[in-house]
Amino acid sequence: MSMHSHSPASVDRTDDALLTVENLQTSFFTDKETIRAVDSISFEIDRGETVGIVGESGSGKSVTARSIMGLIDAPGRVVGGSVRFNDAETVERLARQYPDRTIDVDELRTEHDVADCIEQLLEQGVSPAKLTDGEQDRSDVDPVELAREDIVTMRDLVERRFTDELGITEKSAFVVRDTDGGYVDATHASEDAFRKLRGRGISMIFQDPLTSLNPVYTVGNQIKEAIRLHQGLQGTEAHEEAIRLLEAVSIPDAHRRVDEYPHEFSGGMRQRAVIAMALACKPELLICDEPTTALDVTIQAQILELLMEIQDDRDLAIMFITHDMGVIAEIADQVNVMYAGELVEKAPVGALFDAPKHPYTQGLLESIPGRHPEEDRLRTIEGDVPTPNEQPTYCRFAPRCPEAFDACEVVHPENVGVGDAEHTAACLLYPEELPTDEALEQHRSLGATDGGDQR
Amino acid sequence: MSRWQYFLRRVVLAVPVVFFAMSLVFLVIRAGPRDPVAAALGQNQNPEIAHRMRVQMGIINPDGTPVPLWEQYIDFMTDLVTLSLGQTWVINRGASVLDLIIARAPITIWLGFWSVLIALLIGIPLGFYAGLRPNTFPDYFASFGGIVWRAMPNFWLAIILSSVLVSSEGLTEDLIGVPLSWSDFLIETDVIGTASLANLGDPVSLIAAVKWILPPAIVLGSASMGNEMRIGRTAVLETINSAYVETARAKGLGRRVIVWKHVFRNALIPLVPVISSEAFVLIGGSVLVETVFAINGLGKLTFDAVKQGDLALAGGLLFVFAIFLQIVNIVQDLLYTLIDPRIGYDQS
Repeated sequence: MSMHSHSPASVDRTDDALLTVENLQTSFFTDKETIRAVDSISFEIDRGETVGIVGESGSGKSVTARSIMGLIDAPGRVVGGSVRFNDAETVERLARQYPDRTIDVDELRTEHDVADCIEQLLEQGVSPAKLTDGEQDRSDVDPVELAREDIVTMRDLVERRFTDELGITEKSAFVVRDTDGGYVDATHASEDAFRKLRGRGISMIFQDPLTSLNPVYTVGNQIKEAIRLHQGLQGTEAHEEAIRLLEAVSIPDAHRRVDEYPHEFSGGMRQRAVIAMALACKPELLICDEPTTALDVTIQAQILELLMEIQDDRDLAIMFITHDMGVIAEIADQVNVMYAGELVEKAPVGALFDAPKHPYTQGLLESIPGRHPEEDRLRTIEGDVPTPNEQPTYCRFAPRCPEAFDACEVVHPENVGVGDAEHTAACLLYPEELPTDEALEQHRSLGATDGGDQR
Repeated sequence: MSRWQYFLRRVVLAVPVVFFAMSLVFLVIRAGPRDPVAAALGQNQNPEIAHRMRVQMGIINPDGTPVPLWEQYIDFMTDLVTLSLGQTWVINRGASVLDLIIARAPITIWLGFWSVLIALLIGIPLGFYAGLRPNTFPDYFASFGGIVWRAMPNFWLAIILSSVLVSSEGLTEDLIGVPLSWSDFLIETDVIGTASLANLGDPVSLIAAVKWILPPAIVLGSASMGNEMRIGRTAVLETINSAYVETARAKGLGRRVIVWKHVFRNALIPLVPVISSEAFVLIGGSVLVETVFAINGLGKLTFDAVKQGDLALAGGLLFVFAIFLQIVNIVQDLLYTLIDPRIGYDQS
């Protein structure tokens, strides 16, 4: 699905995903406790792809979206991991604006030898497992071999910010240029730089269209604000563009509507206007945080259709957050299931609905109304999402899990492949083909590697 | 109904409100226990003069029969509409009420202007500042200050401030060893008493007039300042956490645009009634503050007129106040209409 072609001569692995989220961790620090709202999750979004994120309220869906957008306010903070936005135009734009905070990977390759870097890192006490992202965990790894076999490349060192530790890159640098596609490391961007990434690059629409528009300015005014900022159009041109955008989201009589205030719009119209505003920023990725939850079902269907149309027209990547499995089935290509801040299952939409692996996903699917018409009562998952306030050494879903066994209390499940390559689940029942004790051992050893990443 | 139709309707509605207010004033004055003639002439009155006075006031006919109340009411209201407010009998016998009010008004307007200005210029910025930095030291400092200002009753503050300023020379000498006299600061002015507002175009007399008015204006504006600070802080906090501000941030707008364009205007909406309700505090407060600081303004005049039973003057003043308050209400509606496009009568 990638728009980038790999040049075969390239030695480095390149992210072909538009957005790569790796071990993202966002915590909220209160007097009472530290809430790990997003606890080390990883996923990718390709161009033109819709990635759904589902989970109950409190599972960390919205915090994930806001972390990507840099909209986390005190007492919350992104404490670890990286969000890499891989869009050539954005990388060039930001590299021009922040030359001091740009890393050129090619330059690093010519100036430093990868094997030397690896050796230094090993001497500094970085574990081989951490360095190779779990590929090799023997203590006697050979730096030269790692470099020669491309197990660890310069790009890897930059991506995992090991170059900061070696002192060859600045901690504050967040723009990474490389021959075939650099990226913007959003978790290291300053507020100032984030502002240039927001809107253009990544845009977001929110749950409640009734409150997402400022009541004291006309809809046109608010759309034009984005047009002026991101498209550089002024005056009549901006006005015409605003009308065009309103027409693009199927608002009738856009010429008149553009000068109306939000309170003169209906709920569905307002969400269309919000989408128009997001499109005015010319984003590559649109994050939709439950955009249809506040709307009635017919309007919801229209909005989903509109989003899919827009996606086809503009090759837009969409990250779609919802708790409604029905909506996910309709719109998503890939689905990430979140529970208590963690990603518990990841699969293409078909695989997820046909063969859900994680008991939580199974429970979610079971509780879709109409699945069991013969039963009087709707099936539910008993209990509530716990507040993730400590490092997990157990399965957070275990207390509610119908299939929980003793080990669930002491071993933290890691994401392991189930079935086909793109399908993973974080549950001790998997990998299914292994006997239980071997499966547990695999989760333990994966946890040890991942645990090293957690600060 | 459009915003401007709404506004026009509010203006037209102000007329019956003034009418109704003055009807109440009429009842209080004419049907009340106070005998205006006794107030003017004292206990040992000459019956003939008293009779002439009553005829002149329109209370009795020349033949001694009392004028019916409804006829008095019509006369009273007609006089108000034609602005013939009569003459005072007690405070300044024989002077026209209208002339007296016009003569005293500038001082009170000056006092009111500065008290509103101080409250606006200190209270709102401080509140917004605190609201933009919630739960920081500056916020706590400003919020605590707001509560303190709000809590000090203005009659108490007026007395304390005037006595501190009057004895400022001795106090500072005792406390810090350097005599600093407020009266001699910059330009010599009195703390108690009325300064001249003639030729404000002259810088020296302008400074003198401003310096003289500041202490009473601070007292008069203190409560409003505290109120505006607190409401301003809450309004900013509420606005900045609203969904449309998050949307604006998601659009990539800068903090300055977000604060000045998106937060500021919305935060002003709850402040409008707070500011306009100051007008009511102003009238009540000016009576007290002008009395304590011995300022010859409308507030002191009202106090004297009521205390000494000068009913014609009291009626005229209340008429002026009623009209003033209606103007304030209309200005408030105008501000609402300008700030908030949602204002209108038939909202669902």
